[in-house]
Amino acid sequence: MADLVIRNLHATIAGTDTEILKGIDLEMSRGEIHAIMGPNGSGKSTLSHVLMGHPGYEVTAGEVTFMGEDLLELEADERSRAGLFLSFQYPFAVPGVTVANFIRMAVNAHRKGGPDGEDDPIRIPEFRKQLQEAMELLAIDKSMSSRSLNDGFSGGEKKRFEILQMAMLKPKIAILDETDSGLDIDALRIVSGGINQLVGPDMGALIITHYQRILDHVKPDRIHVLMDGRIVRSGGPELAYELETSGYAGITEEVSA
Amino acid sequence: MSPWLAERRDLAAQSNALLPVPTLTDEHWRFTSLRGIDFDAFQPVAAPAPGEIAGAILADGDHAGRVVVRDGGAVVDELSEAVTAQGVAFGSIRRLAEERPELVEPLLGTIVGYDEKFAAENGALWTDGVLLHVPAGVRVAEPFHVAYEIATEGAAQQWRALIVVEEGAEATIVEEHLTGLPGYANGVAEVVVGAAGHLTYVVVQDRGDAALHFAAHRAEIAKDGLLDWVACSTGARTGKTRMETRLTGEGATGRLSGVYVVDDKRHLDLDTTQEHDAPNAVSDLAFKGVLLDEARSVWRGVIRVAAGAQGTDSYQENRNLLLSPKARADSIPGLEIDTNDVRCTHGATAGPVDPMLRFYLMSRGVPEAEANRVIVEGFLEEALERIPDERIRTALTEHVMRRIPS
Repeated sequence: MADLVIRNLHATIAGTDTEILKGIDLEMSRGEIHAIMGPNGSGKSTLSHVLMGHPGYEVTAGEVTFMGEDLLELEADERSRAGLFLSFQYPFAVPGVTVANFIRMAVNAHRKGGPDGEDDPIRIPEFRKQLQEAMELLAIDKSMSSRSLNDGFSGGEKKRFEILQMAMLKPKIAILDETDSGLDIDALRIVSGGINQLVGPDMGALIITHYQRILDHVKPDRIHVLMDGRIVRSGGPELAYELETSGYAGITEEVSA
Repeated sequence: MSPWLAERRDLAAQSNALLPVPTLTDEHWRFTSLRGIDFDAFQPVAAPAPGEIAGAILADGDHAGRVVVRDGGAVVDELSEAVTAQGVAFGSIRRLAEERPELVEPLLGTIVGYDEKFAAENGALWTDGVLLHVPAGVRVAEPFHVAYEIATEGAAQQWRALIVVEEGAEATIVEEHLTGLPGYANGVAEVVVGAAGHLTYVVVQDRGDAALHFAAHRAEIAKDGLLDWVACSTGARTGKTRMETRLTGEGATGRLSGVYVVDDKRHLDLDTTQEHDAPNAVSDLAFKGVLLDEARSVWRGVIRVAAGAQGTDSYQENRNLLLSPKARADSIPGLEIDTNDVRCTHGATAGPVDPMLRFYLMSRGVPEAEANRVIVEGFLEEALERIPDERIRTALTEHVMRRIPS
């Protein structure tokens, strides 16, 4: 069984009948890179939020298993500690909490994850060393670690700090929601380099994007095209180039034909 | 009692006799009802025996001087020899009004007048409190510490403070209103910052959950003077604190920082002014509050810019986090501007913890209760980080966070 298995997933905006996801099926495991591509409004961000447990959506049908567990039964914090990660399209500012303190809190929450919930906080020198290495990997200036997380950061800086958190939390599956948006070409190269270094036998990535730009740097094994809440096509990396030439309109015709 | 002091008390008593207890129809009391409070039930009590104070958060460490006012009088009245040698006067104001009248007589009652009910009552009835007088050019590194405590149930504590930092002088004074026993506290603090003087004034109000706390603090800042004023409120059943700043000299600066956590059915009323009477002065007020249970806060803040105070730079904000659907925070900002060429901005908000921000924290593995605490601490941190002294900042952060359930 794959690490992440999504079967016939339906979801609405909480408290409404507005269905955004209309039956998603997808399987992936560590060591794999999958990309979900689709036009604006197709449900890409909703899928990433629903998988992470966003309170603004309601799952109305289907199932999701993650590492053999029923993901939908877990709270967002439990999903994270189980090894799922979401790099937000629009990360939140956390005023008054420094980057270093925020990440240390998250790391310690993960280390508490045992059945007894016992405390095993990371030693500060060890944490500093890990954080510094991860910041170097992403070419983030050291002085940034004492600033309030995302508070007054540029769009591109926020994305780098999402990947920094991913590097520190070492998830099993990371969902990267429009991580390339807001990055200039140099930043894209650095962030992609970081992602490539982190993906491996212990980590897989689900890249959500509506341009193939990031896919020039992070090579996907599989590409899925999401339209109107459904995956309408899946294929190998060549699908990205097909989309680039014919656009989503070409796919639409194929679906309706 | 000196004739000048008796005369002043008499003047205040006359005013007190004429002023009625405020009601909801008075503009400044619209949200704070005093109905049902029997003020006559609280009686003055002489100072009981000395003894250690309990529950102070900033009493440890080295101090330039210490005063503890218990019920009606000072039971600790100490000033270090080194600071005495610098020419600083500090201690019980009842004692110093007799011993050093030249420091008290010219100012007492001139900054906070007798035209308001509680200030008038205090002017007539105050029993003890503190005088701090730092002469021109003298800098005192260690803080002064003052504690007020009601140790007899039902006592009325009428405290009085006069704090003067002369030209070019520098000092820090910490004033703690301890939990103590239920009673009625009414106080007046008059504060003068001389030209290019620098005063840090930290007030912690942690009176007991049945206590009544009324206070009028008013400061005047001369040319190029700096007042760093920090107010932290976590206590009392009900009451009202006036915190007024008048910038009398060009280039004066007032940094006014407030943090409050109000729980249970407590009612906290804060009334602030930023009065610009001179050009090119700066005042910057940031008050942040957290409301729990059925607690309620009222903040009324007015920026007044007099004619001729051009180049004024004034800011005020009051932000409130409501952690319970039954909690309530009212903010009433106001601007009264009589000149051109000024920059005055204000903002006020009240709302619950942002569920999306909480989701963001939880998506990193942080459990919900901890996520809420982190959001609260981060919210208050924006006001707490303005406190210049790290030891005070840390102690106040721990103090307010103890009030947030985990």
